[in-house]
Amino acid sequence: MIGVVNKFFVTSIFMWAAPVAILYGFNHKLLPGSTQLSPESMTLWSGILAVISVNVVIGLYIYLAMKEPSDKHEPDPKFLADAKASMNQLRPGEADRSKQE
Amino acid sequence: MVASSSSWSRALVQISPYTFSAVGIAISIGVSVLGAAWGIYITGSSLIGAAIKAPRITSKNLISVIFCEAVAIYGVIVAIILQTKLESVPSSKIYEPESLRAGYSIFASGIIVGFANLVCGLCVGIIGSSCALSDAQNSSLFVKILVIEIFGSALGLFGVIVGIIMSAQATWPSKA
Repeated sequence: MIGVVNKFFVTSIFMWAAPVAILYGFNHKLLPGSTQLSPESMTLWSGILAVISVNVVIGLYIYLAMKEPSDKHEPDPKFLADAKASMNQLRPGEADRSKQE
Repeated sequence: MVASSSSWSRALVQISPYTFSAVGIAISIGVSVLGAAWGIYITGSSLIGAAIKAPRITSKNLISVIFCEAVAIYGVIVAIILQTKLESVPSSKIYEPESLRAGYSIFASGIIVGFANLVCGLCVGIIGSSCALSDAQNSSLFVKILVIEIFGSALGLFGVIVGIIMSAQATWPSKA
């Protein structure tokens, strides 16, 4: 459960940080290709790349979540042992009753 | 002053484009977060309830919560983009047609994104809640319902794309 919450938390942080970082980079001209864009195309590129980055993070999270094995339901071992013992106990009892009839 | 005729059209035309822009930015982030929060609380309450009997569903069904949160982030992205589009123009040019056009396009972009994300968040939230409940019963159903959820979250994406394209052409008149 702790592992699940950790993964979710890290994914949430990335989901916020990646698009804001991309927008910041475009607006302050930190990214390599962004220096000579017109304001119109800068808006378009920064917006579309930010949206794509959010979807990439979501896709990664889906991949990680589907990969982890879902816990199989482990039956209680004592219950299992009692159930097996009762089955063995029934066999000789049944054999006696069927002989009497 | 001009003659006493006052009409709604005159009142509307004299609202500053900055008002429209500010309201558009507020709607884009405020209403998107409303939709995301609505979706998360619908999904979250079903998920926690279903996990009482079937604790194995928690790890996969957090995907629904992530989809709802993405809706809020689309609102944040567009609000940041719209804020960078706001420029000051000298007061003589506030009511020029190009200025009005910029103000209206920021307003419209904010409304588009806000309301598209509102309904998208609601949609993904309700689907996510059903997904959690049916996964608890029968784990083979999860992937099929996830496909429906992906279609639902595409609705928010449409709104964001149109909003970004709309706001890209919001150019205020230059100061000269």
